[in-house]
Formats: sequence, C-alpha cells, structure tokens
Amino acid sequence: MRVTICIGSACHLKGSREVVAQLQSMVKERHLEEQVDLNGSFCSGNCVSGVCVTVDGQLYSLKPEDTREFFDREIIGRL
Amino acid sequence: MGITVDAAYKSLNKFNEVLCGDKVEFLQTDESNLMILADGMGSGVKANILATMTSKILGTMFLNGATLEECVETIVETLPVCQVRQVAYSTFSILQVFNSGEAYLVEFDNPSCIFIRDGSLVPIPQNTRIIRDKTINEYRFRVKKGDALILLSDGTIHAGVGQLLNFGWLWEDVASYAVKQYRLTISAIRLASALTTACDELYQYRPGDDTTVAVMRIIDRKPVHLMTGPPKSKRDDVSMVSEFLSGDDTTKRIVCGGTSANIVSREIGKKLSVSLHYYDPDIPPIATLDGVELVTEGVLTLNRVLKLLKQFVKNQSVTEEYFKELDKPNGGSLVAKMLIEDCTELNLYVGMAINSAYQNPGLPFDLGIRQNLVDQLKHAVEEMGKKVTITYY
Repeated sequence: MRVTICIGSACHLKGSREVVAQLQSMVKERHLEEQVDLNGSFCSGNCVSGVCVTVDGQLYSLKPEDTREFFDREIIGRL
Repeated sequence: MGITVDAAYKSLNKFNEVLCGDKVEFLQTDESNLMILADGMGSGVKANILATMTSKILGTMFLNGATLEECVETIVETLPVCQVRQVAYSTFSILQVFNSGEAYLVEFDNPSCIFIRDGSLVPIPQNTRIIRDKTINEYRFRVKKGDALILLSDGTIHAGVGQLLNFGWLWEDVASYAVKQYRLTISAIRLASALTTACDELYQYRPGDDTTVAVMRIIDRKPVHLMTGPPKSKRDDVSMVSEFLSGDDTTKRIVCGGTSANIVSREIGKKLSVSLHYYDPDIPPIATLDGVELVTEGVLTLNRVLKLLKQFVKNQSVTEEYFKELDKPNGGSLVAKMLIEDCTELNLYVGMAINSAYQNPGLPFDLGIRQNLVDQLKHAVEEMGKKVTITYY
C-alpha cells in the first residue's frame, strides 16, 4: 500500500512533519514496513484543508491529532 | 578566455570596536571584476569613514576610467584631516581582473598581496612610482584558472605582536599559511575565514587592530538557475521550464517550490521523489529530480536561505558556527551554500501565480511573500559581487 504525505509549504505549516513522524512510528510499531510504503510529495493541490495524505490514490485531509484514528481506519482497515 | 572570480572577504574589528576601520569593495563591469581594500588610519568611526571614502572614491573613479593619478589626487584632496595627527590617511590595495585574463594590482602601504599559483607563492615585483608624495606599487600580469590573490590589511601581520609573537605574524608566515589553506579550502570565503581565524587566535580573540583578508580566486564560470513559483498562466509552464533548463554543462539548477517542482517534473517527464527525512524541524524535506541539482520546498526554505545570506553579507557573523550551519543537509543550508560557494552568476525564474490557499490568515506564517523574498535574495546575492537576473512569468 502506498501512502503519500504532502510536505509542501501549506501542509508543512499545518503539521505534516507531525503526521509523518506519527505514521512512521505506527508503521514501525506494527512491523508493517513491508506492506505500507510511506512517501513524501510536494503540493497535491488541496492546500485549503488539513495535511494532504493519499492512500492508493485516494486523497484525505488530516489534522495531526487525527493521525492515529486515520491510521487505524484507512491503513489498518484496508490491509 | 572567459575569466570569472570567486571573491569574498572577512574582517575582524579591533577589540571593543563596533565599526571596522577596514573596508572592502567588490565591483563589476562588463569586462572586469574589481576588489578594493582600504585601511583607514586609527580605529572605530574615524577609520571607518576614511576607509569607506577611500574605497568608494577609488571604486567609482576607477570604473569610470579615471587614471590612478586622478584617483589618488581626489583621495588626498577629499579625505577629512585627523585632528590628532593632522593628516588624512588611508592605505589601499586595488585588484582588477579582466575577463580577458589580464590583471592590474595597485598597492599603497598595505602588506603586499599574496599571489598563489599552482600551490606556490608568486612574488609581486616592486615597480613603484610616486604620486602626490605617496609611493605606489603597480603590477600588471595575467591570471589563470586556479590562481588565488589575497589582499591584507596590516592587522593580519600585527597579529600576536608583543604577546604570542615578538614581531607579529610575519608576512612570510602568513603567506605560507595561506598556501596551506589554499589547498584545503575551495571557496574564497573559506580561505579568507581560515586566515582571519588564525589571526584571531594569535590575538587571543582580542584583536589589537582591525584585521581584514580579501580573497579573489580565479575559477570557472558557475551559473546557477533558480526557479521558484508557478507561472501566473499555465500556458507559460512550458516556456518557463525550458528557459530554466537552458544553459550548458556548467549550469547548476535549483527548484524552490513544491508546485514548481511538480511542473518541472511533468514537463521533462522525470519522476520527482520527495524525501520524508527532516534534517531541520522548520524546513520541509528536499526532493530529487533527474536533471536538477537541488529541489526544495518554496517559501519556508527561501526564508531560511535569505536569513543565511543576510548573515553572510553582514560579514561579522561568518564564524565557524556559521559554516557548520551552512554545511547542514537541510534545504535552506543546501541552497544558501550553493549560492555562496558554487555560483558566480544567478538567474532567477520567478512565477507570479497566487495560491489562494496561502491567503489563509489561520496559517502561522505568511506564505504569500515569495515576491518579497526574491527581491531580497537578489540584493543579498548582488552584494556578494555576483550578477543576478530575474525573469518573471
């Protein structure tokens, strides 16, 4: 599964570093490195809402505090 | 033969002085580069005024084709006379290097220029003449790639006098240290900084005089193309990218901006891969793209670049710590380092599109300031003596 986190200017200010760090540690925690491929991307064109995260092509908008829930639902839920 | 130079200087103020009594000017004409070092008599404000006037007069007159006699005459007539010593006095060295490879050195009362070629010292011959009671040395020669020319104020050879060294740091010893550092350093600023750091140590960090080292290294042309921001109209994507990618094998290219990077990636049909590695919590990670040396996020990174360049231009803050910061692998340091040490001319390709999401008052940083950052960037790089052009899209 390919998960892409936007680290562009606007997303950076909305906390993409925090989202990246959380996702990295959750993936590690569950030993999912083989299944979940975390990537960066520049501007996904949806700067207005939260941090842009794409899971297999589907775009989500995330707040850092929602990362855990998002991980459980959209990443674990799809594996 | 097209000659280009990498020129930089570093000054230490006399201990407890806020202003430096040495002044360095870098000037450029279409056919030459000029470096002037003036050392005003005394220290502090008075010396600073004398040195500033001397270097400015020399620079302005020289570039407008005045003869050396006319320049010296003007300086003698205009410098304010010191009330204590009843003289108006500032030493100076002028180094002019033409694109053709010809060089012209004029020295008045400064320690002699250190001329390094192929790793050894080249003596500067004595060829003096007297203009208005001043004995001035002139030397016409040719430079070649790899040469380094170092102008000094006398604070360098007085370093440690009466303290660590009986007679100060003798010119011969400064010169041989310079030869050693010449091999260890690549850029003019690192060489200048290595020499002033050694002086500072000999002075036990309390310089007894203003101390300045100005370095010119003869190098290959190093053009840098920097693209930032998407164009106002999408129709200009193609022309912006093709102009950004123009140039030859010596051209280095930087993209600062996520959307811009996506545009370049799309136009050249190469994949952009964005790292998730944060070397600095405040600067988004960099990316890699075939055919482009460096790809970074835009405004936040440029803001950091500008901070580093401003510090560089201010000179006093260029310390060991500064170089440590410049050598870090975050986007801001990488761009700043390339502009400072690996660039002789900068061409900026600036997109004027406004991202409506950036007009969001909820964001903790005003992202809509690209324009402003680019203007400031231009000024800072020009102040380093490099040519800058901007093309807007």
